[in-house]
Amino acid sequence: MTSLAIHTNVKEQPPIPATETSGELEDKVSVRNLNFFYGDFRGLADINVELYKNKVTAFIGPSGCGKSTLLRVLNRIYDLYPNQRAEGEVLLDGQNILGSNFDVNLLRAKVGMVFQKPTPFPMTIYENVAFGVRLYEKPSKSELDGRVEDALKRGAIWDEVKDKLDASGLSLSGGQQQRLCIARTVAIRPEVILLDEPCSALDPISTAKIEELIDVLKKDYTIAIVTHNMQQAARTSDFTAFMYLGELVEVDETSKIFTNPKEQRTQDYITGRFG
Amino acid sequence: MALNDSNSLYARRRWRNRLATGLSIGAAGFGLTWLVLILLVLVIKGVGGLSLAVFTEMTPPPGGSGGLLNPIVGSLILTVIAVAIGTPLGILAGTYMSEYGRYSKLTMVVRFINDILLSAPSIVVGLFVYEIMVAQMGHFSAWAGAVALAIIVIPVVVRTTEDMLLLIPNTLREASSALGVPQWLVIRYVAYRAARAGMITGILLAIARITGETAPLLFTALNNQFFSWNLNAPMSSLPVVIFQFALSPYSDWQQLAWTGAFIITVAVLGLSILARVLSSKKVAQ
Repeated sequence: MTSLAIHTNVKEQPPIPATETSGELEDKVSVRNLNFFYGDFRGLADINVELYKNKVTAFIGPSGCGKSTLLRVLNRIYDLYPNQRAEGEVLLDGQNILGSNFDVNLLRAKVGMVFQKPTPFPMTIYENVAFGVRLYEKPSKSELDGRVEDALKRGAIWDEVKDKLDASGLSLSGGQQQRLCIARTVAIRPEVILLDEPCSALDPISTAKIEELIDVLKKDYTIAIVTHNMQQAARTSDFTAFMYLGELVEVDETSKIFTNPKEQRTQDYITGRFG
Repeated sequence: MALNDSNSLYARRRWRNRLATGLSIGAAGFGLTWLVLILLVLVIKGVGGLSLAVFTEMTPPPGGSGGLLNPIVGSLILTVIAVAIGTPLGILAGTYMSEYGRYSKLTMVVRFINDILLSAPSIVVGLFVYEIMVAQMGHFSAWAGAVALAIIVIPVVVRTTEDMLLLIPNTLREASSALGVPQWLVIRYVAYRAARAGMITGILLAIARITGETAPLLFTALNNQFFSWNLNAPMSSLPVVIFQFALSPYSDWQQLAWTGAFIITVAVLGLSILARVLSSKKVAQ
């Protein structure tokens, strides 16, 4: 990581000890006793879950179970709406991001998010990626060109757009737009990437491309993905959390959740008995 | 159900459908007829008076020869100042209502008052500015006229700005906020860009609206027979000159009034077409 001011305060933190059960795992994000409210409605109830560094954690569950809500707490995007609030703790490298003194824009630079619907900005493809970079750094023209190229390559879209970087981001197909959004997120060098049903609006080929991409990206980032597609969760994730009615029912290694879940409700959901 | 019954039901529906379609077409035709007639009269009576002198000479005394140079330039000056005052205020207010205070009580109050202002008779605006500016300064002035027009511009721009910004999906705001972009930059680089065509359309519509306003100018900028750059003095404008000349008994003045009306109509038509083109571009995007 380069001269990002946002990283300096993180480096001073003591390293987080790995969990006892699996020696290699390192906590990146720890959710502790999290409750979330839409006005008076409680959308999340006492959530406890860890996102491990360089692992993909999938959140599955029926519509309305709170998985997107949980993701939206992790970068505090819910802050945009005055009647939504979170209680509890979400630790990013040991620091509580829900604390009022935590700068929300710096948080979002570290915890990037890709949404269900592709959301390219009304700018050129180049500007879509360069926009975020320029916010935090003052790169020279050639440095910026390099950053944009690197991000578009990481987004697995470089070959398709390298000859038309000045075209509008809106001129791309849905799958390309979504990969542009991933590239845009990666460009500002976050540590955590949140994917909120990133493939639900895409065709199978684009979906396959993004799933391959997730596999590559986890080498450098910690990833959380919300998905309705259980095959996708099984294919892409290392850990899977099953949520139901605002509660986190069970979280474990993906292979265990899909072959031998501890909870009956998890078993019922993954076998298609409800949801 | 018997087949005949449903058939007669269907026939009745078809008949009603024809009746409704016919009434709609008739109403549309009725409205259009008058519009076309107005335009026809304007063209027939106005085009004849068009000449180079209209654009290069001052308004004449009765019986003399002249043109409309001073009211044309006066109208342009008044419009430019009014837009320069009204547009930033309107855009800022609309931005507050859509982006910063979307859920606040103040926004609801401002929106309500703005809607009243939007439909307020323009003569009331003229009298208001007369009271607060002309009466205080002791004389009519171009400034007062421009302020009166600006008060008409503001609610139009507020409304279109707010509406256009509200059309932008929240997902776009969330996506840019999720990059850590501060709110004012989200507004400047993402929201304004996405809403640009619509906002410009609103400004053009506001200009079209004030181009033909006479009442607010009668009590403020008044009129001036001579060419004047002095903003502290009365200033001539097309609508007021048309008003004065059309009511006069002199046939050459009446002819100039027709020509002036024609020029205003063409200008407004041009602005409206430009606004249409811009807003359709937005859709194509």
